[in-house]
Amino acid sequence: MNLRLHIWRQSGPTDTGMMKTYDLADVSEHMSFLEMLDVLNEQLSERGEEPVAFEHDCREGICGSCGMVINGRPHGPLPRTTACQLHMRTFKDGDEIYIEPWRARAFPVVRDLVVDRSSFDRIIQSGGFVSVNTGNAQDGNTLPISKKDADYAMDAAACIGCGACVAACPNSSAMLFTSAKIGHLGALPQGQAERYDRAENMVLTMDAEGFGACTNHYECEAACPKGISADFIARMNRDFVMAGLLNR
Amino acid sequence: MRSFGEVWRSTIFQKWVMAITGILLVLFLVGHLSGNLLIFLGPDAMNGYAVGLRELFHGAALWIVRLGLIVIFVLHVRAGIVLSQRNRKAKGVRNQKFEARSSTVASRSMIYTGLLLLFYVVYHLAHFTWGAAHSEFYHYTDALGRHDVYRMVIESFRQPTIVATYVLAMAVTGLHLNHAIASAFQTLGVSHPRYTPLIKTAGPAVSILLVLGFLSVPLAIAFGVVGG
Repeated sequence: MNLRLHIWRQSGPTDTGMMKTYDLADVSEHMSFLEMLDVLNEQLSERGEEPVAFEHDCREGICGSCGMVINGRPHGPLPRTTACQLHMRTFKDGDEIYIEPWRARAFPVVRDLVVDRSSFDRIIQSGGFVSVNTGNAQDGNTLPISKKDADYAMDAAACIGCGACVAACPNSSAMLFTSAKIGHLGALPQGQAERYDRAENMVLTMDAEGFGACTNHYECEAACPKGISADFIARMNRDFVMAGLLNR
Repeated sequence: MRSFGEVWRSTIFQKWVMAITGILLVLFLVGHLSGNLLIFLGPDAMNGYAVGLRELFHGAALWIVRLGLIVIFVLHVRAGIVLSQRNRKAKGVRNQKFEARSSTVASRSMIYTGLLLLFYVVYHLAHFTWGAAHSEFYHYTDALGRHDVYRMVIESFRQPTIVATYVLAMAVTGLHLNHAIASAFQTLGVSHPRYTPLIKTAGPAVSILLVLGFLSVPLAIAFGVVGG
């Protein structure tokens, strides 16, 4: 198939950037979206132009590296699918595809489609952990956890930190990401010791990084390649206020 | 432990302020509507109710409620403006293409419908409470010497422009509440697979019922069902 691509090109963080149009011929429907970009980049290199910078690692939908807004939707049109798992059979001959980076003040563009997501790392550093004393590991079965709680925590732990929730949110809010991390640890007995510190610290770090507030559009939930529910945001809203009441 | 200032300035606390004041304002609307519907019971019910409100606890009740409403209203509007500015700044440059999946016109226009309602509330108070707008309808008294609220309402809603403004304002109210009610519960963390689907249906339903209730008065008057 032949495609017309409109891609955001920006040479560096201080460049203003602009959309550029590229025509790409003979794209196989079996290619993944990233492979299609690889082909484009080979052609650009051969012509002596700068290839399009984009982030990628595992290419099997579990690392959270690849992220781009495809035709106005983070990771493209398919639900619960990362950009690397999106295949060109989803598109048809003659399609025009708009490819843009995540947009958020807390995710500054590094180059083209690559954004700096270290603000997520700082949110994790402020509370996305459990503290365990060193020594022999205790027997796993001494901490009874119901299947329901384990499944619930796992639903939150499925977050790969790709940032699609922020990109999808009209307010660039990071609440789905932050609430998934708070909910994951807060649902398990190991996470109880720091539960309210975690809620306070991670939310206030999220605010300080310049992410917006949730207005309950649920665009994040719809865009999440791991299908994480916005119910975790409600849980975080609860935990944060409980922290204000209970935390010493 | 974080200071109260830090917690107060946080997005989530401001959202709680927004949600709690919002729910209180919806409850106020329910009370307001039940008063409005007295128009269907005739002049005596309406004017008697108005006097009753003013004289409850020697006039203290009305002012306590009014002061409460002012505080609630200011907190609600302030949180809305602060948060929406923060959100705008957080997005920065926008994508050239945005395809909505689950957001609605109502959810995306909250700050605009909210600001329109702010202007409307001022006009509405000027009309029916202060008698500053359309003052020609404000000074009637009934046979018992009471402020004739009934006649003020009837005469006002015989003016097509007033009816049109009111209908428009109620459409904006409906749009605002369509998203607001269910959203407030999510913000307060009221979320559970058993009753969240119920809340998400009930929110828009309540908003429609409220708007229909409020619209019944001007439309009944405009079409001559009430007041002859």
